[in-house]
Amino acid sequence: MIVRPARSFLWVAPAIAAMAGIAAGQAAAAEIGAAGAGAAGADPLRDERAVTRIVAGALGLPAMAQPPGGPPAAGLVALGRRLFFDRRLSPSGTMSCGMCHIPEQGFTSQELATPVGSHGRSLRRNAPTLLNVAWVTPLFHDGRAASLEGQALSPLLAPDEMANPSADALVARLAADPDMRQAFVESGSEIAIDAVVNALAAWQRTLVAGGSRFDQWRFAGDENALTDEERHGFALFTGAANCAACHTVAPDHALFTDLMFHDTGIGVRADLAAASGLQVPVEIAPGRTVLVDRALVESVAEPRASDLGRFEVTGDPADRHRYRTPSLRNVALTAPYMHDGSLATLGEVVRFYASGGVPHAGLDPRIRPLDLAESDVLALVAFLESLTSPDVAALVRDARSVPVGNAGP
Amino acid sequence: MHSPRFLLATSGSICLAVALALAPASARADETCQSPYLPKITGQEEFVYVWTLGVEGLGDGEDKLVTIDARPGSKTYGKVVHTASVGGRFEAHHGGFNDDRSQLWLGGLDTSEIFVFDVRTDPGRPRLVKTIRDFTRASGGVVGPHGIYALPGRLLISGLSNDRDHGGRTALVEYSNEGKHIATHWNPTSDKPFGAARGEVADGYGYDVRVLPRKNVMLSSSFTGWSNYMMDFGKMLQDPEAMKRFGQTVVLWNLHTRQPREVFQVPGAPLEIRWALGPTHDYAFTAAALTSKLWLVHVDRDEKWHATAVADIGDPEQIPLPVDISISADDRLLWVTTFMDGKARAFDISDPFHPRQTYEKEIGRQLNMVSQSWDGARVYFTSSLLANWDKKGDDNEQFLKAYAWNGKELDQAFAVDFNAEKLGRPHLMRFGSASLYR
Repeated sequence: MIVRPARSFLWVAPAIAAMAGIAAGQAAAAEIGAAGAGAAGADPLRDERAVTRIVAGALGLPAMAQPPGGPPAAGLVALGRRLFFDRRLSPSGTMSCGMCHIPEQGFTSQELATPVGSHGRSLRRNAPTLLNVAWVTPLFHDGRAASLEGQALSPLLAPDEMANPSADALVARLAADPDMRQAFVESGSEIAIDAVVNALAAWQRTLVAGGSRFDQWRFAGDENALTDEERHGFALFTGAANCAACHTVAPDHALFTDLMFHDTGIGVRADLAAASGLQVPVEIAPGRTVLVDRALVESVAEPRASDLGRFEVTGDPADRHRYRTPSLRNVALTAPYMHDGSLATLGEVVRFYASGGVPHAGLDPRIRPLDLAESDVLALVAFLESLTSPDVAALVRDARSVPVGNAGP
Repeated sequence: MHSPRFLLATSGSICLAVALALAPASARADETCQSPYLPKITGQEEFVYVWTLGVEGLGDGEDKLVTIDARPGSKTYGKVVHTASVGGRFEAHHGGFNDDRSQLWLGGLDTSEIFVFDVRTDPGRPRLVKTIRDFTRASGGVVGPHGIYALPGRLLISGLSNDRDHGGRTALVEYSNEGKHIATHWNPTSDKPFGAARGEVADGYGYDVRVLPRKNVMLSSSFTGWSNYMMDFGKMLQDPEAMKRFGQTVVLWNLHTRQPREVFQVPGAPLEIRWALGPTHDYAFTAAALTSKLWLVHVDRDEKWHATAVADIGDPEQIPLPVDISISADDRLLWVTTFMDGKARAFDISDPFHPRQTYEKEIGRQLNMVSQSWDGARVYFTSSLLANWDKKGDDNEQFLKAYAWNGKELDQAFAVDFNAEKLGRPHLMRFGSASLYR
């Protein structure tokens, strides 16, 4: 039986729920106030099951490329999960990985266009979801990291993110905590930066979220898994709208990304808006927006940092304002959209592309005005919403099985 | 031109002695709007304590408690007489005294430390005696200790955020005077109302908390989470998702049981709550910062409580951003400060349902807190809102300014330039006096 999810709503398929020992349909809402060790209940098989996800994958996803040495030990996964949610990863004690990649918000942040780092420093790019991150390579919007192990050090050391002065300083701080020392012992690792990044990578690889209704329809032969509207949306996606030119679909799997870099015009649009001198719409209460002079906004704003995308990695002028194509799996859970979080809804995204992006010299030639009826836009959105995995709720529970790490005796 | 009251400052200590001798024995010069459980200063406040954010590269760069001499006639009147740095930058913001006023507890919104100062041993030289570093862990995940408010034997601390998503869902936290965590009361939300009656929105956000013991009620207001209050203000104004995450509620609680009773719809980030002071005045004001609106929370004959919008502050279309309010001891005047235009506005609130602006004055290019003396004759202002919200460049004035108020005009008595003195960004003010401990 297929349980039809409401739009943007987490749900749990019966089989997965039985495996996780939770009731079908149980909401995965944030249990703020019920935080603490074992909030999700003791589960001795949790780590083994997480490793199984790496090996078994999920319907609709290709086999996962394994890191050198094969699938991680369960102990390393457990250590990675614990580190991921420990705010002591930052010297200020405020920033863990999990403060921007929030489980209940699609393992990204739905409340910010671009994140806020240590001491409130501004970041330029939207936090990407970590669902299915094992298939993402290269990593970051600009592709500057080749592996999850290579990626992990970057936010730990970036002054505007977690702001550790050095890897050694981070390791020394972790080693000063008796509970953390014990966690490393239990994982079979020495306290060292290699173990930190390996553990973080190991747990993130377990965030496998396939088996969506689309996958049931496309790859398991369930004709009833998608509605007529959703099937129409997919036909447009691979046909007239040509979304699949970059968000690729293979015969036996679908990553919904070519893992390449493209200029959609979003990068230059931000520059144009900043230079326009136009008033800035500010929503001061739900449904109440006022237009504010840009000068007033700029009186309380640090100068906007430029963002040249892939060019910042390669130095190739052709890469200016190019960003990696994101996967569309679970995209209904990961608003706001685009590399700068500047589009709030899937409808806005579809309409952005249907209008031809932002015309300029560097625009990817595959982006052109489309002749879409409003019903076509809605069908595309409905199709995108069919890409949500039934496994996300269980992944949220896995993530919240550890307490948030905080300073204290 | 200085007022007679402030002229004492330049006339030497003999004048001070004469003034004190002539003052009526029952004179009360304390700041209004404090916890009803606090002892009051009788006579002139002697010191103004200013919880100050450190600025990287300015002086020692640390957050600090700055003590300013407010004794007219003192040789150091209007001067900084003491500073006590706390070892780093923690987003110094608000705080409050404990119930016997021996300690001043001060919170850091970024890293959630609480710094406890002894203000009794030497009121002119507060001394850091305890630092609570495990507030978030002890409270079960509350981030951003904000308002700190004296209850008998304990302090009630309103949080701003949480450790799971740095959003606005948060709690009220109780600590003993000795610094031990007692309880955490999560604010009611739509999915967890904890028995509270609620309207369309129950956001669970927090900001201020204040009590009215004779009605067995307390009120809490709602601001925003860590991600927003730590963010560059200009970046936030241009982020539609972030702007959706501001408080829209005021919560009425049962004071004794700490159970939420009702969630009122007050959109636009209602911040400071100020109960009227008169013994039969069962109402409070709050100001919604983003919508620039004054709200009245009041009880009817059937003991049913209501929240009613009663006045605009400036032109809401320009987002003047009211950030602090202060009621005079006779409940007739409400000072309102607005950050963006740097103005202080006086509202006649004799009829609380129809506040009427009667006066305004630009205090500086940016303006935040206002504290007034019990007799209303002295009004103090500070400039800083949040480290990453303050204005940039030349507009980033940082000051404490003291004024005399004669009922018609604000007349500047002294000013301390916190940039020039390399102190930082002045925020919360509290009054101190040695007379409390004699």
